[in-house]
Amino acid sequence: MLENYLPILIFIGIGLVIGMAALIIGALIGPHKPDAEKNSPYECGFPAFEDTRLPFDVRYYLVAILFIIFDLETAFLFPWAVVLHKIGLYGFLAMMVFLGLLTIGFIYEWKKGALEWQ
Amino acid sequence: MNLAQIFTDLVFFSFAAILVGSALMTIISRNPVRSALFLVLAFFAATGLWILLEVEFLGLILILVYVGAVMTLFLFVVMTLNIDVEEQRSSFVRYLPFAIVIVAMLVILMVYVISPGHLNPSELTTTGGQPVNYSNTTELGMVLYTDYAYPFELAGILLLVAIIAAISLTFHGKGNNKTQNPDQQILIRREDRIRMVKMQGDKK
Amino acid sequence: MFNDLLLILWIIIKIIVIVVPLLLGVAYLTFFERKVIGLMQSRIGPNRVGPWGLLQPIADVLKLLTKEIIIPSASNRYLFVIAPMLTITPALAAWAVIPFSQGMALANINAGVLYLFALGSLSVYGVLVAGWASNSKYAFLGAMRAAAQTISYEIAMGFSFVGILLAAGSMNLQDIVLKQQGGFWHWYWLPLLPLFVTYWISGVAETNRLPFDVAEGESEIVAGFHVEYSGITFALFFLAEYINMIMVSTIAALLFLGGWLSPFEGIPLLGPLFAWVPGIIWLFLKIGGFLFLYIWLRATFPRYRYDQIMRLGWKVLIPVTLVWVVVVSLGVEFKIAPWFI
Repeated sequence: MLENYLPILIFIGIGLVIGMAALIIGALIGPHKPDAEKNSPYECGFPAFEDTRLPFDVRYYLVAILFIIFDLETAFLFPWAVVLHKIGLYGFLAMMVFLGLLTIGFIYEWKKGALEWQ
Repeated sequence: MNLAQIFTDLVFFSFAAILVGSALMTIISRNPVRSALFLVLAFFAATGLWILLEVEFLGLILILVYVGAVMTLFLFVVMTLNIDVEEQRSSFVRYLPFAIVIVAMLVILMVYVISPGHLNPSELTTTGGQPVNYSNTTELGMVLYTDYAYPFELAGILLLVAIIAAISLTFHGKGNNKTQNPDQQILIRREDRIRMVKMQGDKK
Repeated sequence: MFNDLLLILWIIIKIIVIVVPLLLGVAYLTFFERKVIGLMQSRIGPNRVGPWGLLQPIADVLKLLTKEIIIPSASNRYLFVIAPMLTITPALAAWAVIPFSQGMALANINAGVLYLFALGSLSVYGVLVAGWASNSKYAFLGAMRAAAQTISYEIAMGFSFVGILLAAGSMNLQDIVLKQQGGFWHWYWLPLLPLFVTYWISGVAETNRLPFDVAEGESEIVAGFHVEYSGITFALFFLAEYINMIMVSTIAALLFLGGWLSPFEGIPLLGPLFAWVPGIIWLFLKIGGFLFLYIWLRATFPRYRYDQIMRLGWKVLIPVTLVWVVVVSLGVEFKIAPWFI
């Protein structure tokens, strides 16, 4: 089984090399004449005010949390989908109960208005 | 010992070194975003180790769930914080005794678990040498939804509780956002906005 | 000993055979895109460099290579430089498992679909790190938007993969294609039509292309997460975006349109007539079709509003896929012919 993963390891290595090589070539060929105006963050011509890293709308965190839960659900669905034709009705019903529970959660989110964006 | 074996060992030790190194950097690094990214690297190295153990499904799920989802949330949170390094250093001293107690408890627990009689490393068998078409996912699926259906449903309930908890902790209704209502805007008629007034012109 | 080294060398040659045409493909995809959009808008498109403008992409590459790499003074230098690499590496590495024809895959792993899905979930990192390291408000806003959008559509995408796995009973990409044998009506686009549409919409949203490109949104946040990038660092983001577009098209062709299988299979006269065409040609034609669709969408639709994007992802696509996964699993449970045998 491991022999299948050897090309992937090498491919990831080559991907890193390509990224690095491009950056190095670009840095060598391109000019390098920094000045204070050029290096300041772009803010439509104004000098930058306030810090960039401000607290964000809580909605973004909520989306990330809900995403973790649904991602876990997909993680459970993947092996089930692969073996469903072998595990018969029992396995099918087990997953339907599981999906039912998550559908309840999904409906709760919806009704609470956690999926609304304004 | 042939070359393939040497190569496998080499891969194992490089992944192990990356794992330990990046885990250390996660703790040492001053910048929280850099810590989080080193933790991501640690997860990658762990995936490499798991795939070496021929459990491809668990390895890839580690990337999918931890790197793809959990660490994204971490980054979301850490990136929007502007953490003051000075303040961090003062709290480090304050929490030090507490941290030492926790570390000591963890060490005791680990020693207890790895001790002979529980998880004796010398008794563990390796899973190496599976055939080319071996599918770890199928093996897992065959037992997870039949033999372990009850714990599986418990996991479902846990996820449901997580959804409800997450929403009730972070979300408090619409708040005081001032927003447009496009439906109302579109349905507006001329008569609602304009009133025609007959004006008498000034007469001389 | 010698044989092992030869094996590694052979793998490296194969990787080069995949990567070089891919990079050329990206270069000419940008040219094709500009030409097609030009024609759709009654313009000519690039026509100055070389005959019919054919050397335009080469000129673009040379220009990007010789431009200055600007690192903003307020940025986190290391992360700022690493971000483009974080974007390009997973985009390239995903190609390791793609089968181009029967038996023509670099790594024929059993967890192929999961591997693609896992690598796809990494695309959010390059964007987030780039946006944060730039320390610019537009970049940061673009990055947060892009990240929230990407993860929202990933769920729908994952569910549509589940439908495919149900139908094929395998995560191996070769097996999935071979299960679709038997001609046009046996491909999975028909029994899994809602999942196919969902996959395509999520794919467009994942690559942050129009009409879902609020992450870049030139007219409001300038260029989003890569506003501070210049020269080759910008080129890497651009390259990764186009590689991902080709990737999404390839996955769509493999999973829903029978990969390298001929569309005329099983049809009396046309089937034997086209039997000589190698499978890889069919695959490339299907990929080309999807790429044209990408460009067509870009030329046709205005940008979605952000709340509309989130509503489509969470309130339309997820319920649709959830229902259809249950329908497909019923089909598998009761072995509905000819798809679920």
